[in-house]
Amino acid sequence: MRGTRLFIAVFLIPPLLLYGIFVVSPYAQAFQIAGTDWSGLSPTYDFVGLDNFRRLAEDGYFWNALRHNAWLLLLLPVVTILLGLFLASMISVGGRADRAGVHGVRGSAFYRVVYFFPQVLSVAIVGVLWKEMYAPHTGMINGFLRAAGLDGLAVAWLGDPRFSFWCVMAVMIWMNVGFYVVLFSAAMQSIPRDLYEAALLDGASRLTTLVRLTVPLLWDTIQVAWVYLAIIAIDGFAIVQIITDGGPSSSSDVVGLRLYKAAFADGQFGYASAIGVAMFFLTLTVAAMFLRVTRRDRVEL
Amino acid sequence: MGHTISRRGLLQGAAGVAAASTLAGCAMGGDDAEDDAKGETSASNPLGVKEDAPLEVVIFNGGFGEEYAKAHEAMYRQRHPQAEIKHSATQQIAETLQPRFVAGDPPDVVNNSGGSQIDFNGLVSQGALADLGELLDAPSLDDPDTKVRDTLLPGIVDVGSYDGKFLSLNYAYSAYGIWYSQKLFEAKGWAYPRTWDDMIALCKQIKAAGIAPWTYPGKHARYMSWPILAAAGKMGGLDVIKAIDNLEPNAWKHDAVKAAAEAYYQLAVDGYLQPGAEGMDHVQSQTEWCRGKAAFVSCGSWLENEQKAVTPPDFRMAVAPTPSLTTSDKMPYEAFRGTGSEPFVVPSKGKNVRGGLEYLRVMLSRQGAADFTRKVSSLTCVRGSSEGIDLGPGLTSVTGLIDASKGTAFTWLYSSYYRKLERERVDAASAELYAKRITAAQWCDKIQKSADEFAQDPAIKKYKRA
Amino acid sequence: MAVLTRPRSSVPVPSPPRPRSTVPVLSHVFLAGWALLTTLPLLWAVLSSFKSDNEILTDPWSLPSRLRWENWERAWNEAHIGRYFLNSAIVVTGALTLTMLLGAMAAYILARYRFRGARVIYYAFVGGMMFPVFLALVPLFFVVRNLGLLGTLPGLTLVYAAYSLPFTVFFLTAFFRTLPTSVAEAAMVDGCGHFRLFFSVMLPMARPGLVSVGIFTFLFQWNQYVLPIVLMQGEGADKRWVLAQGLTALAVNEGYRGDFSGLFAGMTIAMLPVIAAYLLFHRQFQSGLAAGQLR
Repeated sequence: MRGTRLFIAVFLIPPLLLYGIFVVSPYAQAFQIAGTDWSGLSPTYDFVGLDNFRRLAEDGYFWNALRHNAWLLLLLPVVTILLGLFLASMISVGGRADRAGVHGVRGSAFYRVVYFFPQVLSVAIVGVLWKEMYAPHTGMINGFLRAAGLDGLAVAWLGDPRFSFWCVMAVMIWMNVGFYVVLFSAAMQSIPRDLYEAALLDGASRLTTLVRLTVPLLWDTIQVAWVYLAIIAIDGFAIVQIITDGGPSSSSDVVGLRLYKAAFADGQFGYASAIGVAMFFLTLTVAAMFLRVTRRDRVEL
Repeated sequence: MGHTISRRGLLQGAAGVAAASTLAGCAMGGDDAEDDAKGETSASNPLGVKEDAPLEVVIFNGGFGEEYAKAHEAMYRQRHPQAEIKHSATQQIAETLQPRFVAGDPPDVVNNSGGSQIDFNGLVSQGALADLGELLDAPSLDDPDTKVRDTLLPGIVDVGSYDGKFLSLNYAYSAYGIWYSQKLFEAKGWAYPRTWDDMIALCKQIKAAGIAPWTYPGKHARYMSWPILAAAGKMGGLDVIKAIDNLEPNAWKHDAVKAAAEAYYQLAVDGYLQPGAEGMDHVQSQTEWCRGKAAFVSCGSWLENEQKAVTPPDFRMAVAPTPSLTTSDKMPYEAFRGTGSEPFVVPSKGKNVRGGLEYLRVMLSRQGAADFTRKVSSLTCVRGSSEGIDLGPGLTSVTGLIDASKGTAFTWLYSSYYRKLERERVDAASAELYAKRITAAQWCDKIQKSADEFAQDPAIKKYKRA
Repeated sequence: MAVLTRPRSSVPVPSPPRPRSTVPVLSHVFLAGWALLTTLPLLWAVLSSFKSDNEILTDPWSLPSRLRWENWERAWNEAHIGRYFLNSAIVVTGALTLTMLLGAMAAYILARYRFRGARVIYYAFVGGMMFPVFLALVPLFFVVRNLGLLGTLPGLTLVYAAYSLPFTVFFLTAFFRTLPTSVAEAAMVDGCGHFRLFFSVMLPMARPGLVSVGIFTFLFQWNQYVLPIVLMQGEGADKRWVLAQGLTALAVNEGYRGDFSGLFAGMTIAMLPVIAAYLLFHRQFQSGLAAGQLR
């Protein structure tokens, strides 16, 4: 058994070391910093106990940002997954149905390739690009609306607190949908074709097939998708920071941006870490809720 | 999934991560600063720079670029040939330097500027900045009989002082006002209005001519808080501004502030703001202005340099003071907001504080200042240093503005004392005001509420403007 | 656990009762609509990269009057987009390799061997997925700095790899558990050692899972934004910047100097190689995602 133990040690120690040094230790320190009034500018600090959390509870800007994350958490996964499922099912079974069964649409490979583009671009490019897209006079969106004679709709998208947050969310959906189309349509490939044909034969509509057949069969994949999207929704920092920087009037603020500003603009690292700890518990709560909600019998074939 | 995560398990995992021992050192420890390098003082080396001590300079790589600093460094090297100079430039000053301040290992000279400058409130209250008083009393590089202090434009020492200590040298001199194209105005036969009533009347004409009278950066609406405060200061006198700087109760509800806010709110109500401007950033709105889509824009004197690439050749931009609100204004029409910008600091924990001071002395020499003006088309805080330099039309108009004001230029300090109050709160309220989502009175209320919050927040160090 | 192992049906079924000719048409309308939505912004950026500043500002939908390669030249020479792209590629390649190797090692042990503390280690890894990266930013800076890795490509590579481990370990542990034990047992009986078993039997068997987690990890690392901004600092670090920094710097610069065409050119230069690489390997990408359907 000595050989086995050696093997385990050799295989486990390098990853654990890397993980311990760069991930575990910074997190552990962050919890400690959350209990201080550290300004980030000098090595001196005092322990202030739970003061930072008390302040957090009264910070209207934090709650405002949290509300936006909640909206993201609620809508981003749902909309993205629905769009993804919709488009994926069109790709996989939206084609003609004939003697040989149900087909994918012609050019399905093309769609799958094109939809994936935003994913590979890197979030910095997507952010900068969309900031320009939304520009009131020089952006593509208003240019299109004007050309179509819809001048009334060509508003200052990012300058209006009624729209700014939704504009940012739209970008997040835009950049993520393609990935899930590919993911779902890949999963659909592994669903036996005759199941669809049988369903259609029974006179079920395509929509019913989607809801009754595809969704349950893809349930595991959908759960995975939901987890990824929830992680993106709780973060949301990069896109928001690049496109609106939280404005106007904090109308598109998110918690990640609050934390970043508290740390790097206001020099309140203690407080910033407290926001981080709050984010951690938020994530934990969401995960717990998710596990409870999705505890559902798996489909066995 | 092969192995479902149980809730209990997740919590265990999290606790395990949180409780794990700290590796590779702790963030908050930091090394102690090493002893400051100091050499002999002499007539040619009044600040006692240690000749072979290396000097590290970090420049904000924004509108002015970094080339001008390389010229200053060359001048420093000429004076201290043994010193090795490390130069770097970044757009993210705070992200780059914050950790180094903590570690007690900051550079020797920092150009703390730009969108992500480090909040002065924190820097000052932590004692992270060296007192530059010694520099002020040192002889200037050009004339051993003149102190550096006496070569500076008025107001520069005030704006860099915190509780009486001069901690930050605002190297560039910026005049703030309302900008227009002389070419456009001459072609249309318009004259810049000296009173607010004239402004409104002219706006009507401009609009009738098919041009938006004003544009503004809705994403940085604080640009439009500047004319309000300038007009309020001119109407009610400097005490109105001082009350704001000192976070006094109801300072933002003073009649002069209210009147000024009402006046500028009128632009929004009467439809004199360019449609869509609320969604533009400063470059977008200024570019609209350069392209003749709008007649006026509020900005500081860096505007000419910032817009260099897109300004038509015969545009002839010019700056003017804010129009007088009433005939009984306490300050003359010519008074404007003029103040230093581009703050340079010498961190107190730097390894070569003397060298840092000396570097600033080099910057403040006539040659250093003239070179800056030539390279980046901006005035400096050094008196008369732009003489004999061929300035663009914008900067020429700035010097005209300064001359005409006869020393009545003024500024406010709350934006450097409490950066967040301007950058976050005033900015947001102004965006609302010009989008007509709140009224002028609500604007005052909103900002006053924020100012009160700052006044009561024990985490924010307070400063008093005398 | 639902294991979808049934082979695809190849038996022809009787033709469906109703002709549904409208369905494909409708499908195409929706699909093409989304394809347009996806590609138009990208095309717009490419077109704008050839315009003059004035053309960009006058009409967002106009075509460039000529191909202004000088915009590209400016983005390449002055904004160094090419260099940043290369740096990004180096870091992600290194980090991806490291993540896959270390992740597979840890996951294999955790999935296949029983020993005291295995559960704790597993949850310590998986728990890492729950923590917002922000929480670690400042202390992380010091850890990297104290190791002398600040502003270096190896430093960023190690950090990327470390932060990719939780998901990789989580995913691959599940994957290794699904692999049949019989092959491993047979190999052990044949006198195959632990190391050989792993490298020549288990790793090849886990290939689909590796490809799939590799894709996720690649996307995670390629899309990093805040880590490089905080960690690639200090003397001369701008030569080792990665794309995220180079582009935002360009965008910030645009904020200070108004070089619109240069910005679009920079974006296009940063966009095209990834798109091209993706087009080359898209089959592997997609089959990787398909194979990685965690079941």
